[in-house]
Amino acid sequence: MSGLRRRLRPLLVPVLAVLSAFVVGSLFLMLSDLKHLAMIPTDPIGALTGAMGDVINAYRALLLGAFGDPAKFALAFEQGTPKAWTTALRPISETLVAATPLMFTGLAIAVSFRTSVFNIGGDGQFVLGALGASIVALALRDLPAPITLVGALAGGVLFGALWGFVPGFLKARTGAHEVITTIMLNYVALQIVQLALRTDFLRQSTNSQPISKVLDFVRVPLLIPLPGLRLHWGFIAALVVAALISWFLFKTTKGFELRSAGQNLTAARYAGMSAGGSIILAMVVSGALAGLGGAFQVMGSVTQMSNDVNSGYGWTAIALALLGGTRPGGVVAAALLFGALNNGGHGMQVATSIPLDLLVFIQALVIMFVAAPDLVRKIYRLRPPKPEVAATATEGASA
Amino acid sequence: MTAATALVTSPAPRISAAQQRAERMARVRGIIFAVIGIAAFSIASGSMGSEVTFRFWIQEQGGAAWEIHTAAGLLWILAGVTTGVGGLHQLWKGASVSWRRWMALALPFWIAAIIGTLLAGKPAVMTNLFGGSLEYAFPIAMGAFAAMICERSGMLNIAIEGKFLLGACVASIAASVTGLVFVGPVVAIIVGVGVGWLMAWMAIRHRVDQIIAGTVVNFGALGLTNFVYLRILQLNTDINTPPTVEAIKVPLLSEIPVLGPVFFSGTPYLYIALVTMVVLTYMLFKTRWGLRLRASGEYPNAAGTVGVDVIKIRYRAMMLAGAIAGFAGSYLSLHSAGSFQMNMSAGKGFIAMAAMIFGGWNPIGAFGAALVFGFSDATQTLLSSLGVDVPPQILTSVPYLVTIVVVAGLVGRVRGPAMAGVPYEQG
Repeated sequence: MSGLRRRLRPLLVPVLAVLSAFVVGSLFLMLSDLKHLAMIPTDPIGALTGAMGDVINAYRALLLGAFGDPAKFALAFEQGTPKAWTTALRPISETLVAATPLMFTGLAIAVSFRTSVFNIGGDGQFVLGALGASIVALALRDLPAPITLVGALAGGVLFGALWGFVPGFLKARTGAHEVITTIMLNYVALQIVQLALRTDFLRQSTNSQPISKVLDFVRVPLLIPLPGLRLHWGFIAALVVAALISWFLFKTTKGFELRSAGQNLTAARYAGMSAGGSIILAMVVSGALAGLGGAFQVMGSVTQMSNDVNSGYGWTAIALALLGGTRPGGVVAAALLFGALNNGGHGMQVATSIPLDLLVFIQALVIMFVAAPDLVRKIYRLRPPKPEVAATATEGASA
Repeated sequence: MTAATALVTSPAPRISAAQQRAERMARVRGIIFAVIGIAAFSIASGSMGSEVTFRFWIQEQGGAAWEIHTAAGLLWILAGVTTGVGGLHQLWKGASVSWRRWMALALPFWIAAIIGTLLAGKPAVMTNLFGGSLEYAFPIAMGAFAAMICERSGMLNIAIEGKFLLGACVASIAASVTGLVFVGPVVAIIVGVGVGWLMAWMAIRHRVDQIIAGTVVNFGALGLTNFVYLRILQLNTDINTPPTVEAIKVPLLSEIPVLGPVFFSGTPYLYIALVTMVVLTYMLFKTRWGLRLRASGEYPNAAGTVGVDVIKIRYRAMMLAGAIAGFAGSYLSLHSAGSFQMNMSAGKGFIAMAAMIFGGWNPIGAFGAALVFGFSDATQTLLSSLGVDVPPQILTSVPYLVTIVVVAGLVGRVRGPAMAGVPYEQG
């Protein structure tokens, strides 16, 4: 096998998984198409082609919404005005904005999966990170902006880490199953946020909805100096963090201990490593990453703390960690893909009035297909992987 | 106590480290309880004057009522005495004293005292409070039964939430389209069985981690039902206005004063939950099916060696659980709301898991836990209807916090099936 083919081979199953998910998604799209379903008795062929045309239109709108319209790029090159560039670049900018929180939560979950800890509390850690950042930002608002911003981000990390530490500590000390505790802590975090949004300190008094004061006095700096583009340095920070996590997991002793604990807890223990310590560390790092994601979300993308700051990022992160083979690089790629899906979904919803929630369903299917690689291989009649390949492929999936 | 836990906690010949730890924990628990008990007295002294009224409707809402008048302080004293004495008893005797019994004794006084103090003189309508608890408890209890069957068979099922949503969605559509109420639950059961099979197929046949499989179902169900709602139901409201399940007054029994309006004037769902609890308890602990199911969850290799088909048992358990959870989902749209709404299960599926754990993986315990959680919901409704300004978030968090405490074994450790979540390889 040539070098390139060997390098591309691990990508085969994830790519086919995404493809299959879209195929199944389009089936549901056609089945829910009442207009064309009603045509079947009179004009079955017209119904089928019409329904398929709608599916193609929907996916086209999805792509345009995610990556932008080539025609608009051409126009921007021609005119060269900032306004034309803004319209051309906005879809990509929004895709990267949508990918940023996913990169953080995806990395968070990947670290925990590597250690065989099932952190499904990404949601709670994320919202508490956002809350922590808002609280610190408001408390330090009279200080110079850079100090306030750094403080706010640190606050997010701290709150997230704390919300990761609790289940980690309970697991290490009492054996409490982290799946249960993190699920419960997600709900507690949600209640804490709602409670905090009732306070005068945080709440915007002019608004009837529970939403915080506007935090734009310390916004994360924008990346592209064009008005109307929200892309901020949080995206770059996410890339840097991914590189750091990669280094931490694969090049440091602590990272090795985490991975050893993940692969074989008993063996790690015999080798003199502290299993409990690894579990706690993994959960703290995981929570801190999710919290940082929440902090960047509220300080960069939305500038206001509310219940809606999180839209299932913690759950999507499970898909990302699996899709990316629990490798930081893979997670970043998966997050970019899902960011494109989510943002493109908005474009699709506007253009074709097909609900964005279709993509949640498609994402669930992606998880299913990625988690069952032998199912994908069977559907596409692929050869089963060679033993050596199998070892690396299952390494991530079985975590 | 269940047979399985009795087996595990039976006394060992010598004192193990775990037992020493349990003893130590018991003493600490005793001290904490005693201190809390004493603390209740200090509240009592401040509230001797404030009157509390508990009102029970004898036959029907607004009719003749039976009332208990008391002072809030008195309730605080009773709460303090029961807790304090329980704590001292625990401190004196150690781990052999059941904290649960003392808790069960003290808890009603605590709740009465807290509610009485919060209401500040307004009457607490206990009929509505208890009736409401039962109503809120139904989906939680059924979800807990479903999760319990799976865990007892060795499958970790975190997808109760997703099955609730799917059940609610299809039940509403089916009942609306046919115009017949009972079609809704039937279709919900069928869909639930299908989803249960899908999860088992993913987890067993394709070795997908059981938590991942559950996540797929939860996530997929949320996306799919939202999608169906926005794309179809919102525009065609005629297929989302099902006939609702009406309350049935049980002849004779509903005539019983005080108890009748609470227990025997509910919807068929309530009676089905009670029957399920009894049947499931019998099935789990008294039948061959139950023994094999529990064996698959505790020690599947041993079960497999004596010829039990662990794989088949797990498939069936997942499908049965799917049926129960789907049926419970139909309650959400056919009873409470009268239509399907987006994300209408709102975390009840996860609270159901909490109830299962809190109830010690045992149907009666789970039903009791569901009642406690339902009671906290009903209290919230009562307080907000009377305009008492307590942040609802505090009460809402209680079930989640209690579950964490119980799972961590801080108060009365419970133990689940040993092999729940561990795949079984047939040798």
